[in-house]
Amino acid sequence: MIELYHIWKQYQKPQWALSDITFRAERGDFCFITGPSGSGKTTLLKIIFREIFPTQGQIVINRRNILRVPDHKIYSLRRTMGIVFQDFRLLFHKRVFDNIAIVLQVLGIARKDIRRRVFNALRMVNLHHKMWEYPAHLSYGEQQRVAIARAVVNSPKIILADEPTGNLDPELAFEIMSLFKEINKKGATVIICTHDRELIRHFGHKIFFLYKGKLLRKETL
Amino acid sequence: MNNLWQYRVRNVFSVTIICLSFLIVGIFLSLSNNLQYTAQQISKNMVIVFFLKKDLSEKDRNTIGEKLKKSSEVIKTQFISSEQALGKFLEKFPELQGIVNNLKINPFPPSFETTLKEKILSSDETQSFIQSMQNMKGIDDVQFNKDWVERMQSLSRLAKAVGFFLGGILILASFFIISNVIKLSVFARKDEIGILRLVGATNTFIRIPFLLDGIIMGILGGMLSLFVLFLVIKLFPLYLGSSLGALNELINFRYLSLSQSISLIGAGAVIGFLGSFSSLAQFLKV
Ligand SMILES: Nc1ncnc2c1ncn2[C@@H]1O[C@H](COP(=O)(O)OP(=O)(O)O)[C@@H](O)[C@H]1O
Ligand SMILES: [Mg+2]
Repeated sequence: MIELYHIWKQYQKPQWALSDITFRAERGDFCFITGPSGSGKTTLLKIIFREIFPTQGQIVINRRNILRVPDHKIYSLRRTMGIVFQDFRLLFHKRVFDNIAIVLQVLGIARKDIRRRVFNALRMVNLHHKMWEYPAHLSYGEQQRVAIARAVVNSPKIILADEPTGNLDPELAFEIMSLFKEINKKGATVIICTHDRELIRHFGHKIFFLYKGKLLRKETL
Repeated sequence: MNNLWQYRVRNVFSVTIICLSFLIVGIFLSLSNNLQYTAQQISKNMVIVFFLKKDLSEKDRNTIGEKLKKSSEVIKTQFISSEQALGKFLEKFPELQGIVNNLKINPFPPSFETTLKEKILSSDETQSFIQSMQNMKGIDDVQFNKDWVERMQSLSRLAKAVGFFLGGILILASFFIISNVIKLSVFARKDEIGILRLVGATNTFIRIPFLLDGIIMGILGGMLSLFVLFLVIKLFPLYLGSSLGALNELINFRYLSLSQSISLIGAGAVIGFLGSFSSLAQFLKV
């Protein structure tokens, strides 16, 4: 369960990137955050995985106030999450395989299992034939799918995806959403930022509309 | 490890600095070892020489000789006449033969050379024994090597202290150099560190490769300094040749003991560890 209480975020005065956001995502929810570019979607996600701190407000994830977790213990929160970053954040000097394997390596998982699970994750995003390529040799859409495979490889309890289909053609976007939905059916909480109305209409369950940092309305379909 | 090779120029630089720092410590340690050793050698042969008045009668001389032999402090005593003393001197310094011959008179007084029981030179009994002998009629002067032993020992301590002081400063410098060299490679990989943190790596997981780099640099520096020290010790006497004569014995470097060598390398490892540990701290936030 992810609960946000009166979250405010200001990067520079005088604008507020987020103002007074309060919402809750239950365990097993499939949520969309939508809104125009610059409305604060990425900022909101970054606050949830605690890459940045809110100026004000509290966040509770699974009954833990994550703003109080010290830096050297934050890994335990991150291990419950699979994150697809808007800018992918791949390691360009490492092969696709190693980019994904790293999630499992930090957990100390055996080499053999890592190989199998990385291959499976890549097959889910239909990219297993590029396992030994370097990310720089892949298209944007392919890099995005590597980022998605990395986010799901450890079957996380929470998936946070920032415009994960932004560079994909409609059919592939649809496939990726189905993948998230499948993981969601197994009990994971999924939060996706997107402005793809087609996808929202098709997959939407809980929808949050952001506009200039304010939460305009919530819809539950 | 990839890192070590990738940034080899600056790594070679920092290993060299560590090596030089430890070399300074090593040189002084070795000097100190040698002085310590010499002091030990001297105190093993506690020889006291009682110089006699030149015009001493045979009877008085025998009285002194008897007293020395009877003393419980003494192991061995031997009379050296003026002629024997001169002979010994010429044996040691044959090149001075001409000068001595020119002197016409024999400048060496007769003496008793007395060997005392080991390591009791500074004890009260020995002191009072020497005192009582000194007051005897016919004894001109007493010469013994206690002063030398003490001088050697304090010189040895001084060498060690200087070594640790200079070395300490340099080691502190090498700590900062390692720390900054590692910081450069950490900085080059700060995006990667950020990603690792976001996918749930512990700080230890992130630190290990950098710590290994630091430790390897420290150990390499330490080992290199031992090797260079070895060369210095081997080559120094060759360079100076025999020009030093008797002094050669004193400046003769003694190589470090096994435990000193291991400590030096260990210190390198510790400095490497601490240096890289400290350089990472600022990149392990958020
Ligand atoms: N690091 C930053 N420093 C300053 N301003 C920022 C930063 N990141 C985002 N912003 C601003 O915050 C607002 C929200 O940005 P963002 O969360 O990226 O929106 P979205 O993801 O919805 O496009 C924008 O006005 C953006 O310019
Ligand atoms: Mg964004």
